[in-house]
Amino acid sequence: MIRIVRTILPPLLVASIGGPAMAAGKLQVAATVPNLGFIASEIGGDHVAVTTIGSGLQDAHFVEPKPSFIVRLRSVDLLLVNGLDLEIGWVPPLTQGARNAEILAGGPGYIDCSSRINVLEVPTGALSRAQGDVHPFGNPHYLADPLNAEIVAAEIADAFKTADPADAADFEKRRAEFVSRLHAALFGPELLDLVGGAKLSRLAQTGELDTFLQTSMVEGKPLASRLSGWLGKLRPYANVKVVTYHKDYSYFAKRFGLDIVEFVEPKPGIPPSLKHIEELTQRLSAGDVKLLITRPYVEHRSTDQLSERTKIPVLTLPLEAGGTPETGDFFKLFDHVTSRIATSLDSSPAGR
Amino acid sequence: MFKAFSWKDLVCHAAAIAAIMLCCLATVRAEETTQADAGVVAAMQREIRDLKEQLRALKEQVDALTRAGTGAATPGPSAAPQEQVAPQAPLAPEPQQPLTQPPRAASTGNAFNPAISAVFQAIGNASIDHDIDDEGLSLSEAEIGLQAVVDPYARVDLFLAFGTDGEAEVEEGYGTFLTLPGGLQAKAGRFKSNFGKWNQLHNHAFPTVDRPDALTSFFGEESLTGDGASLSWLLPGTGSTFVESVTEITSTSNDVMFNARRSDPMLLEHLSSVFTLSPSATIGVGATGATGKAGPTEELVDAIDDAGLSATLTPSDDLPSNVFGVDLTYKWKPLQSGLYRSFLWQTEAVHSVRDVEELDPSGVLLEGTVRSFGGYSYAEYQFAKRWRAGLRYDYTEFPDDDSAHQRGGSAVLRVQPTEFQEFRFQFKHTGRNEEAAARFDDIDSDNEFFIEWIPSIGPHPAHAY
Repeated sequence: MIRIVRTILPPLLVASIGGPAMAAGKLQVAATVPNLGFIASEIGGDHVAVTTIGSGLQDAHFVEPKPSFIVRLRSVDLLLVNGLDLEIGWVPPLTQGARNAEILAGGPGYIDCSSRINVLEVPTGALSRAQGDVHPFGNPHYLADPLNAEIVAAEIADAFKTADPADAADFEKRRAEFVSRLHAALFGPELLDLVGGAKLSRLAQTGELDTFLQTSMVEGKPLASRLSGWLGKLRPYANVKVVTYHKDYSYFAKRFGLDIVEFVEPKPGIPPSLKHIEELTQRLSAGDVKLLITRPYVEHRSTDQLSERTKIPVLTLPLEAGGTPETGDFFKLFDHVTSRIATSLDSSPAGR
Repeated sequence: MFKAFSWKDLVCHAAAIAAIMLCCLATVRAEETTQADAGVVAAMQREIRDLKEQLRALKEQVDALTRAGTGAATPGPSAAPQEQVAPQAPLAPEPQQPLTQPPRAASTGNAFNPAISAVFQAIGNASIDHDIDDEGLSLSEAEIGLQAVVDPYARVDLFLAFGTDGEAEVEEGYGTFLTLPGGLQAKAGRFKSNFGKWNQLHNHAFPTVDRPDALTSFFGEESLTGDGASLSWLLPGTGSTFVESVTEITSTSNDVMFNARRSDPMLLEHLSSVFTLSPSATIGVGATGATGKAGPTEELVDAIDDAGLSATLTPSDDLPSNVFGVDLTYKWKPLQSGLYRSFLWQTEAVHSVRDVEELDPSGVLLEGTVRSFGGYSYAEYQFAKRWRAGLRYDYTEFPDDDSAHQRGGSAVLRVQPTEFQEFRFQFKHTGRNEEAAARFDDIDSDNEFFIEWIPSIGPHPAHAY
């Protein structure tokens, strides 16, 4: 029986994990979600082989802990996790099965990429599941803010440097290149040249960027006129009211100035009832919400219904790279997401 | 567009910076025609920028000190307390460390307490055709789980179960050594034997209300459980294919297959593998063999008593007893719509070879070998986020009587409002031949209905695959 399976199956075996070459000498790295895998590849270059466990099509809360991942994790040097309990349902069985002490939680190879993040929505007061599927450590979807990729890149580069000191200089160089590319994509090249990435990034992190751009003048115009990139694309729609399906757009909204006024889910992880949709419809019909944003892997019936009744357009946007060709990597992902939001708001009757 | 800080002084500070910047830029504009001054201006700009950075750093230090002075530390659990003293990455954007750290661990004794979970099953069952004693409503089992790592090398999982009668028992309690070399992992304590797939499930994790008939007839009402040690080995050189060998040596009190003395150990070997067919589908295969000793069946003891021979006849408790199993599991869960659709098909077959003694009418014990077979096949389709429907077919003989057999068919509906509670509804038809009916109050056909509610509280559970 097993022999038959052995003979027939190998041609069928599609390695659902990224299929890295187990090349000798390379730092073996596994990332739980595609965005982390992409940043790790950018920083590691030829010195690392990166395997990504979750797919860009998937809800990162619910990845199946398939035994093939256990096999892969057996031989990795580093495991990059999103942290903040995003993977609580599936990373523990993988690390506990992998027979790799390095990557057990607390081990030197277990890299929690959230550790330097300014975490939003950390619950205060008593926690209860009456609030739905709350994350006790705060909102884990921090890479929805592309600027957080800079912080994650520093975390990953440090981990790589510790694990492979011989290539430390190259990791640092690649990290700096990645961050420059990120800044150019986020702020646009012109503003980047004028002000410098480090400063723009700091102002953006502290929430002072907008004031700075409005009050600083260059050639008689506010510096804001030089802003392009992802931030520039969405700047005309600052403070526009939107509704999202799940609480996973908080970081994105904070960065790009969207105002999330409601969620389609009544509580995190709780699907909306017909009654809830009814009430939402009434509230949204009266309000000035311009956009509904949902995710590829959640049901579309509720948002379609809402959109149909309220005439508010609905956008299905991924926030993990690699789900579709147009979101193949982290940069394409935010190109895609910001463009679609801008296009949709631009063509909406009361877009601006 | 960008949310400003709520701290008033910081805003004032930002305004001050803006004012300086405005003056600076105005100056730049006034002088921009003078080519020669450009270098000076740039130098001034840089200087102002540097000064502002220094001012900001100072300001943040003052803020941090002020906060530390007022003792504004937030109590609560923390996953990453290490970073607060760690030096910053060279080019990480000055993170607002004092403002943005995850909450620190409270300095109470709770920090190292195990994760505590509790789950119970409220079951109602009724036979449609017969008046059976044990039907009715019951809190069939309540389970308390305590789980934590012991130290960097081991973790402990302890599950205490409270039955309908209120009696408590250690359902499982074992330590796992996670850091052995060579792809090995060891377990010691009391654990459910790694026999096939279903045997390791706790009752609340079954996909149906009841256990498959074959497992009940081969291992009794409880699963095959032993006290001892287990060594599992993840085989190397298999590419991305999972191949695992588990070897167990346990003392078991299983009252069907291995009801001999506890000093006779049960040895078990389980080999399993999971093949990835596509990103959405896997097929798992497994084979198990277990060998130990069996003693007299209850029927034999009763028969000897009834014949008044208990003083002269001593039945053997050293009878060879072996049981083999194979399992096959197909799982499908599409990546994108996996929250709403999935399919599971699991089949196990069990074969026992067990010596049995019988009381001959002439008053002597005759030993013979009984070879029995049993198994189940269960298919389940998830058709909505909270809804799954399943069908199960059961067939089983009995390890001490291969002429007795029963078949069963079940239809199951599972409703999971959230991951933390589940309702199960099951209809089951059972048919038995005469020999099997004799073991069940001569009931040769039965239709039963089960309803079950399983709430669970505590930390979010991880899901085994």
